[in-house]
Amino acid sequence: MTLDKAAFAHKHHTHIEPLEVKITVRGLNFWYSDFNALTGITVDIKKKAVTAFIGPSGCGKSTFLRCMNRMNDLIPGTRVEGKMHLDGADIYGPGVDPVDLRRRVGMIFQQPNPFPQSIYDNVAYGPRLQGIKKKSDLDQIVEESLRRANVWKEVKDILGRGGLTLSGGQQQRLCIARVLAVQPEVLLMDEPCSAIDPTSVQKIEDLMAELKDTVTIVIVTHNMQQAARVSDFTAFFLQEVAGDPAVLVEYGRTSEIFTSPTDKRTEDYITGRFG
Amino acid sequence: MREQFYKDLADLHAEVVDIVAAVSATTRQSVTSLITGDIDMAIAVIDGDDIIDARCLGVEERVLETIATQFPVARDLRLLTSLTFIAMHLERMADLSVNIAKATRRTAGRQGPQTLYDLIQAQGNLVYRVLDATREALEKRDLELARKLPELDEPIDHLYKQFFRELARLHEEEEIEWASSMVLASRYLERIADNAVDIGERIAYLITGERERSTESGLVPPSAG
Repeated sequence: MTLDKAAFAHKHHTHIEPLEVKITVRGLNFWYSDFNALTGITVDIKKKAVTAFIGPSGCGKSTFLRCMNRMNDLIPGTRVEGKMHLDGADIYGPGVDPVDLRRRVGMIFQQPNPFPQSIYDNVAYGPRLQGIKKKSDLDQIVEESLRRANVWKEVKDILGRGGLTLSGGQQQRLCIARVLAVQPEVLLMDEPCSAIDPTSVQKIEDLMAELKDTVTIVIVTHNMQQAARVSDFTAFFLQEVAGDPAVLVEYGRTSEIFTSPTDKRTEDYITGRFG
Repeated sequence: MREQFYKDLADLHAEVVDIVAAVSATTRQSVTSLITGDIDMAIAVIDGDDIIDARCLGVEERVLETIATQFPVARDLRLLTSLTFIAMHLERMADLSVNIAKATRRTAGRQGPQTLYDLIQAQGNLVYRVLDATREALEKRDLELARKLPELDEPIDHLYKQFFRELARLHEEEEIEWASSMVLASRYLERIADNAVDIGERIAYLITGERERSTESGLVPPSAG
């Protein structure tokens, strides 16, 4: 396969050769105190692709997403079993600094959460923490990050204005720029479009398509059409009985999941027959 | 649950099943008109084609509307796209029976050897069997029956070849001209059955989600052989 062909195949979801794996998960179990929320999760998250997690509310997809940058560590009583590796290194291994991990594996939440600072300072925050002080370097990072987040044109003349003065959809893209400013390898998005206007949704979907050339993206979404539109791979999670742990029912190429899923539970869910 | 959506899907499915029945009826009429020289019946087939065309177009439009508004996926999506393609085949099949009816107009009032009448009737009977099986396979989503269509189609091709052998025995010019129309009719019947076999592939896909291909012994999944 030549490079051009590979690029074409990737863009049009027709690639046959396996992509590299970014995050390897084997037999993962997760507990909130004595509640077993997830069990036996085994999946390979492909590098430089968009993977969507879908499933009814309470099926553990956000919990699983937060395992990937140890965001659940912040909740007392939580516990993880099994294997979760980033580029072959144990995410839960001794000596892993969760703060450094969260720089490499950034996160976007449902509610945009800009700092109560200027647009510029929101984006420059991470790079400054990393020790970048030179104004011209910061200017460059801020512009590039805002461009990649598809919000530059709207804010380039008001960089000194407070981030919270922007519309919800612009705030969300500002938050994406803030994450991108520290050059993450993985971007976790937890229902990033649930609370924002349709134009911003479109811009976020567009930027995802552009970002996946350099970043591995995992998105949790309740919007099935969005999962179908933006993702290359789809994972369907389900808690079959209330109180039981959720499982990963089916994982595969999005084009196949949405035309010919192999599991009847997946088919029933995506066709709207339950859930 | 999306009650109205499921009702729309069921209605569309039933409509296409019904068009298969209509195409089957028009095929029977065209063959009968050819054998009996019944011009009125032939004209009824020709005139009736507009109705089948309109129904097929109606299916396509309703499928488009449903896709545009309901975002169907998985088996619902496969059903809708398959029904569109099946309707396309049905329209062509109806056109082919119109061609047979036109042959009735050309040959009416003339007589040829009984062997050729017998051949076209025999071939017609085999085609009816394929069409009935197609309708049943679609109506009941019967995978085994859909997979059997190529097997049912095979003897039809043999009879078409038989026509050429019979044609070679004729000597009178007038007889040959008449027989040529019969050979064409036989060709149209063979094409009708081929379209039905293609419909069988669509039915298999809408049921399994896998592309199957026709072989002489039936449809096989892409992985086999």
